Amino acid sequence: MNLVELRGVSRWYGNVVAVNDVTMTLGSGVTGLLGPNGAGKTTLLHMMAGFLAPSQGTVTVAGQPSWRNPEVYRILGLVSEREAVHGFLTAWEFVLASAKLHRLRNPQDAARRAISLVEMQEAKDRRISTFSKGMRQRTRVAAALVHEPDVLLLDEPFNGMDPRQRMHMMDLLHHMGDTGRTVLFSSHILEEVEQISGTVQVIVAGRLAASGDFRTIRRLMTHRPHVFAIRSTDDRRLAVALVGEASVTGVDVATGGLAVRAGDYGSFTRALPKIALREGIRVRQLVPSDESLESVFSYLVQGTAS
Amino acid sequence: MALADGVIHDIGYQRYTGPRLGRRYAAVSLYLHSLRTAFGLGRTAKAKIFPFIVVGLAFTVAAIAVALRTQSGNVIISYLQYCDAVGIPLLLFLAVVAPELVSRDLRAHILPLYFSRPLRRADYALVKLGAMISAMWLVLAGPLLLMFLGGVFAQKRGASGAWHEFTDLLGGLSYAGIYALIFSSIAVLVASLASRRAVAAASIVGVFLVTTPVVGVLQVLGGDMLRQLSRMIDPVLLIQGLSNWIYRTHTMDIAGYGPVYLAAAVLLVTGCVSLLVLRYRRLTV
Amino acid sequence: MNLTIARITARGLLGRRRFLLLVPMPILLVGLTALAHGLQPDEARQWAGPILHGFGFAVLLPLIALIVGTGVLGAEIDDGTIVHILTKPLPRRQIVLAKLAVAVAVTAVVSAVPMFVAGVIADSVRFGLGLALACVVGSIAYCAFFLLLSLVTRRPVLLGLLYVLLWEGLLGNLLAGTRALSIEQYVLTIAAKAGDTTLLESHVSIQVSIAMSVVFLLAGTLLAIDRLRSFTLTGETS
Repeated sequence: MNLVELRGVSRWYGNVVAVNDVTMTLGSGVTGLLGPNGAGKTTLLHMMAGFLAPSQGTVTVAGQPSWRNPEVYRILGLVSEREAVHGFLTAWEFVLASAKLHRLRNPQDAARRAISLVEMQEAKDRRISTFSKGMRQRTRVAAALVHEPDVLLLDEPFNGMDPRQRMHMMDLLHHMGDTGRTVLFSSHILEEVEQISGTVQVIVAGRLAASGDFRTIRRLMTHRPHVFAIRSTDDRRLAVALVGEASVTGVDVATGGLAVRAGDYGSFTRALPKIALREGIRVRQLVPSDESLESVFSYLVQGTAS
Repeated sequence: MALADGVIHDIGYQRYTGPRLGRRYAAVSLYLHSLRTAFGLGRTAKAKIFPFIVVGLAFTVAAIAVALRTQSGNVIISYLQYCDAVGIPLLLFLAVVAPELVSRDLRAHILPLYFSRPLRRADYALVKLGAMISAMWLVLAGPLLLMFLGGVFAQKRGASGAWHEFTDLLGGLSYAGIYALIFSSIAVLVASLASRRAVAAASIVGVFLVTTPVVGVLQVLGGDMLRQLSRMIDPVLLIQGLSNWIYRTHTMDIAGYGPVYLAAAVLLVTGCVSLLVLRYRRLTV
Repeated sequence: MNLTIARITARGLLGRRRFLLLVPMPILLVGLTALAHGLQPDEARQWAGPILHGFGFAVLLPLIALIVGTGVLGAEIDDGTIVHILTKPLPRRQIVLAKLAVAVAVTAVVSAVPMFVAGVIADSVRFGLGLALACVVGSIAYCAFFLLLSLVTRRPVLLGLLYVLLWEGLLGNLLAGTRALSIEQYVLTIAAKAGDTTLLESHVSIQVSIAMSVVFLLAGTLLAIDRLRSFTLTGETS
């Protein structure tokens, strides 16, 4: 059952396009939203959570739009990136208040369950202002889970967590995903996303660059040809030398320079300087054709190259 | 796939070998930066709105003064009276700018960055205060200059008249300096006690506004001496009393208490400045 | 009107150091009145105006309403904790009304109590009650207005200060026309009428005062509810 649907969603601020024609559906299980900083992950999450209206397209949660619709929060929980919490409340009071505001029939039970889920029982009667970063994060997650939402959105939840806490949070998210809930978390750190068994949505410069199983995407990357535009002191001689290189799958000679297609990005970038040095050619300009995508894909292929 | 031969290019940490400018340079840079911040220069358009509303108001009043002067041929609003007239816009300027200069740094916890430089804590406090005083003085000086130009062209006594005008301008500028000094000392002290800009702004306004009715009441109640002395609680009246004595205007009856006003003003300024420096010295960052 | 939100708001407001700011002014008001009454009990006409109007209605009431009214919502918007309140299936009017109620209650108590005491000292119980009633009405109008400001702009305190200092203070004294849009004037009129006294000058009729106070309340609350429904978090960090 696909609970969260985005269709042709764009969001711009004046001339700056933060999210560019994104269409995706989130099903049950854990999905990771991966992308470099400034790619539009937070913008997307805020649109899904009803805190931002799309400039174009529709965002629906369980069939209803999330914008200007407080009822959607019955089945939606959000853990925002900002660490803001009411510091003067204790963890227990904070989660209990969250339960009461959700109009749960038995707020004390729900709060107790949520707190034990994040393993904050010992510290629950301390004020949040005395907590460490990880504890605050866990408290906020407890408050977001207290009404057992079908959809849980987390914005960079592993920020500032140590490896043990990260593992624990990941287990918690997997547990929620296994029980049929839709969990979406955003991250720009490869190692966090690597451990997901579920799907990954890669967003770069506002566009959806890839979706699906993480390992499949990675495999696709090594087969995808990369195109570089090169200008040098002797293009033709360089072209001849490059054709002999194993990682190069094609060279086009144009008046402005060379367009080189490389199959293995890593090998090519290491081989080019050696070739140029050997031939005594100076490379004046080397521009990957689609740089923004390259930066993300380089994250993905780092594990496989060499 | 390891490289067969390799070279390590030592482009690592490179020490700075240029000249290191010291405490004075740091202080002057902070002063200029603060002055620019006061008027919102070098920042987004939104930061310029409030300061320039005040500047606009100040110039408007000056323009009115010039207009009245050219119309009637007499000085309706003198330089000194001008400074008194723009009291409320000045207060607004204080309430907006002092927190920008001082409270923001407190809130963002960036004071360690400042204090781990050649700049001393007292330097920081005094530079910020100096920037506030200069900013306030500039807000008054510009319109005063406008009034001077208007006055020079309006008066009919040629060179001697122009000279007279100039000495009046100097009086006005020094009066503006007194305003700037006293107002800023109080405001920057209050702002340094609050880390939220909103709270600091409201507190500054509160401190200035509260004194007026208090003095009003004491005026009505007491005898002669109480009436004279109670005026000094209100910074505005204190300044006006001072001007009566120094510039020999006769807007208020100060009955020979002139030196007392001066002493009170000096005490107020030194007290505020000392407390400000003390505040920053005792601050744990 | 939601009790949980009201409780959290009240705790956030009163439990902090910010609350200490609200204490000196009421004490000063009562102290001054007592002093004045002690020194010149028969000349109330002389000192009642400056204290009760010049300090009480022109400084104490608006500044306290400003600090409290912008604090109940503005502080949460500023530090981001508003997200926790908004990600709940609550009608937005409940949130606004709860916060408004807390703001009005705190402002009314902190301003009406000292004004009542001052009024009793100055003239009579009737006068004190009139002042207190005016403070309550003023709290309602000011808080609704400042609550709306904290949703409409990122610097609500500065705009509020602009309103109090320039609009009500400077222009109110210079241009008679602006008086019809000045909460301070409504408060004065209500105090003068309810307290049945001539110690305070009023420039606006009682009908206009009551009507405009209601307008401020309704417009402020309804607009605030609408703005809260469209509350937007942009994509940037912090």
